[in-house]
Order: sequence, then structure tokens, then C-alpha cells
Amino acid sequence: MKSDPRITSSRGRTYGAQPRRRDGAAAALEIDHVTKRYGDDAAVQDLSFTVQPGRVTGFLGTNGAGKSTTMKILLDLASADEGTATIGGTRYRDLEDPARTVGVVLEPNAFHPGRSGRDHLRILADGGGFPTERVQEMLTLVGLEDAADRRVGAYSMGMRQRLSLAAALLGDPPVLVLDEPGNGLDPQGIRDLRGLLRERAADGDTIFVSSHLLSEVEHLADEVVVLNKGRLVASGSLRELQREETFVRSPSRDHLTEVLGSAGGTVQPFEEDALLVRDLSIDVIGNHAHRAGIELHELSPHPGSLEDLFMGWTDLTDVDGTLGAAKEVVSA
Amino acid sequence: MTSRRLVRAEMRKLTTTKMPWVFLAVLAAIAGTTAIAVVFGTDADGSKGFISTAEDQRSLMAFAYNGLVIAALFGAIAVAREYAHDTVVPTFLIEPRRRRAVLAQFAALMVGGAVLGFAGTALTMAAVAIALIATDYGFMVSVGDATRLLAASSFAAATGALLGAGLGTFIRNTGGAVAALVVVLLIAPPLAVQLVSDAISWVPGNLALSASGLAGEPGMAAALIAMAAWAAIPAMIGLSAARRRDIV
Repeated sequence: MKSDPRITSSRGRTYGAQPRRRDGAAAALEIDHVTKRYGDDAAVQDLSFTVQPGRVTGFLGTNGAGKSTTMKILLDLASADEGTATIGGTRYRDLEDPARTVGVVLEPNAFHPGRSGRDHLRILADGGGFPTERVQEMLTLVGLEDAADRRVGAYSMGMRQRLSLAAALLGDPPVLVLDEPGNGLDPQGIRDLRGLLRERAADGDTIFVSSHLLSEVEHLADEVVVLNKGRLVASGSLRELQREETFVRSPSRDHLTEVLGSAGGTVQPFEEDALLVRDLSIDVIGNHAHRAGIELHELSPHPGSLEDLFMGWTDLTDVDGTLGAAKEVVSA
Repeated sequence: MTSRRLVRAEMRKLTTTKMPWVFLAVLAAIAGTTAIAVVFGTDADGSKGFISTAEDQRSLMAFAYNGLVIAALFGAIAVAREYAHDTVVPTFLIEPRRRRAVLAQFAALMVGGAVLGFAGTALTMAAVAIALIATDYGFMVSVGDATRLLAASSFAAATGALLGAGLGTFIRNTGGAVAALVVVLLIAPPLAVQLVSDAISWVPGNLALSASGLAGEPGMAAALIAMAAWAAIPAMIGLSAARRRDIV
């Protein structure tokens, strides 16, 4: 995949970095109190969040957390039992030109194994009314020119993923909804994908990416939305969320753990004499320690890794089996 | 405009896999078998009475029912594989108003079915004409009758493709759709005739013969309408199901 593409269509439109700034063409994605049940099981429960244009929003969750279901509801491939999912205030099915508005990669990739990659894109170009030149442009963009006329059944997983991305970008849409787009890509491919998505977000596009590769999301996302068992457990600016942990070093770690735990903090041991604390602000932690007469050697914001945060968010659920509102972490 | 684009995309789907060639090979094999029968086959009395008149030769070349069954398999397999490979997902993303997307798919398959029906009849006619050279009989079917056979077969195969596509859309599983076709086209009609003897005029086999001018009842117009009705019912069921259900 080649980053920073400058590709000109037959209509003279240029696709690529600076020339394709849209100035408000992209739309916010709104998930509003969406619930989806399969029998007695709720795949998604009263889920609400917004994905803003001009940002890369990572969509995280454990397997079966409801990420794919949410995306399918947004794309009208599945219906919500309650709530609405819209793109710029409009349901997907009511969009004037959905193929030029939203580019989609869904798992599993949808290809006929006996059809060539080029023919797959030609079919989509026919259906979407895209100029046929776009097919070759996208094959070049994702680095599949040489394999374009081979059967997709003979493609590696990474090549299929590149073809999926080519299909998603065919209509040069201002909104991208990508389910695990990095799956199967080699490191260079992941790096190029990251560059491409960052560029498009910088151009004002709305980028909504689900992934289980937390380190990748950490490099890519401005915002995160985190699901666990169909419920929202965290959302907001990744940078802000990462600041919500406080590092505390104390010779009385066990006593401090007890005090902060009873004050409503979520406390994790860290190294030999330290703690990582969430759900309590740094001044509240200081006050509690002071009132309990606990000596502190260090008290500072801790820029936790996304992985640490994610484990904490999902652990919260596992501890008591439920996700009360008080446990949710929502950053402005 | 959107519908035309969708039909074009569906036509490209059909022509970019090996499936149409497999079906054309089957048609060629049927034509070859018919030619062998013409050269080597005889009636019970050892004569070649089955090719001795224009009527006999028309019956031999009447391909409408074969075309209907083969095109129904073509439609059912084509659609069911769309669901099996999830290639219906990008289709519904391009056109989320599923009625349009499904109707475009049906339209393309009807064209594909008609082509198969036409090709099946044309290959059979050519094979019979060539095979007759090796016999004492010439090709006796008039241009008008040959045209009617071609038209009837094309129409029957188009309706067959629609019938198969409807079942494929509803069932979404290749094996299940083919099994349902066997029930609808091969098992249910004789059972219906056993229950109501007058139903014999309205089963697909007889309707195909009527459309080809080889059965008295019903008339051609009624036969065409009835064949369309046989196809329309599963097509409407499939369309309704596709509009309502989740694609997961």
C-alpha cells in the first residue's frame, strides 16, 4: 500500500493528501441508545456514542463485545431492536449516494474466490457508478497491480485485506467504517494504512476503526470507544483517558490500597511499592492519604498504555459481573 | 439510472466466474446426447419413427422444460453463493434499499437464464440437424416453429432463473436451495396432479410444452402467464425475506 497517494480520476478529481480537503463534507456517526438482541442475549445494550469527523476513532472491545454488530447496525445490514444509528443525521439506507459517502471494510472479507481482484472492484465500480479508471487507481494504491488478474481464492490474507481497502476507497468516501482493517497486513502495510487513515482524518474525513490490536490503535486513534459485553465502558479522547490514571508510590502500599479502594478508587499494584489508581482525581488521592496519615513518596499522573487501560476497563466487568454507570469512563 | 448500474454490476458478477461456462458445458453435453440418440436410437419396433415427422423433430428439440430446470438451478446456485461468500454485503452497501438490489439481481439472472435457454435450444437444434445427416431423414422443422421453440425456451428459462433466484434468496444455502428446487419442480407437480387431475395442464412441464406449441391446453398466452406465476411466487417470498432480515 502506498501512502500519500495523489491520484486523479477521469473527472479530474484528485485523491490524496492536501488536495482532497473536504471542509465539512464528512459527517459524524451517531449511535443513540442502540440495543440489539439475539434471542435472550443482548449483543449490544443501550449503546450511545458519537464519532466525530476529522478524527480517527478506535473501536475496541473483547471478542463478542458487540463491535461488528454495532457497525452492521450503522450500515443497515442489521436492524436495531431499539435506538437509532445515523451518519450525519441520516440512516444509511436513506443516504443519497451511500457508496460515495461511506467506505466499508467488514470482517469476514466478502469475495468470490473464483473472481479476480480486478473484477471484484469492477463490479463495485459498476454498481456505484464510479469511473472505471478508479479500479486501476485503487489497485495501484493498495499495491495489488501485479495480482489484480489472479483469482481472489489464491490471495493471501493480507492481499485480501488490501483488496477490501481498495473497495472501501473506490468511491473516495468522506466516511470510513473499517472492521479490523489491519488483519493480515505486514508491518509495512500496517504502517501505510496508518498513514492513509491519518491523512484522511487530517483532510476532515470521519474514520471509525475497530481493532483488537491495541498497540496499533494507540498509534492511530485520536479517540476511542470501548465496549464490553455490549455496553459502553469508555469513550473519549485517548490522550485524556490515558491521563486518568495516577501513579502513587508509598511505603504503606497495602494501607493506601485499602483507603483508596474504600473511597471508590480502582487500585492496581504496580512495581514493589507503588499503585496505579483510577476513578479518583490526583488531589482526592492526596487528601485521602493525608487524612489517613500515609506517607507518599510520589504522586503523579500516569500516562498508562492503552493495553493497561483496556485491561482495566474489561476487568471491571469481570470482577462484579455487571457494568454500573459509576464504572463507566467517559471523557469529554 | 441506479437500477441500470445495479443490473450491469449483477451481469458482471455472472460473467466473471466459471459458473456460466459450466452450465453451457452441460447444455452442450445434453445436445451431444440428443445427437447420439438421433444417430443410434430407435423406437421399440426398430424404426426411427421418433424423427420421421416435423412434429417428432419439434418434440425432440423442445428444450423449454429442460431450460427452465437448468436455469432454475443456475439462479438458485448463483444467489445462494452470493450469501455463502457474503458478496451480497457489498451489494447491499452500494444499494441499501434492498428491494432495488434484489430486483436488479433477479433481472440479471433472468437475462442469464434466457441466454441459457436460448443456447440450450440452439445447441440441440444444431446437434439434431447435424445428426440427421447420418439418417434417412432431413431437418423438417420450419423456421417459424424453430423460432417458437427458441422463444419458448428462452422465456421458460428466464422464469426458471427467477424461480431459482427467489428460492436461493429465501434459503441462502446452496444445498438447501437446490433441494427446494427439486421439491418445487420435480416432486410437488406430480403430487398436485394426483390430488387434482386437472392440475396437469398447469404444471411446469406441460406449460413448457404449451409455450413451445406442443400441447393443446392451456393456450400459449395462458402458459406463459402461468409459468411467470410459478416463478413470481418464490421470487416475492425471497424479496420479502431479503428486505426484512439481517445480513450477518
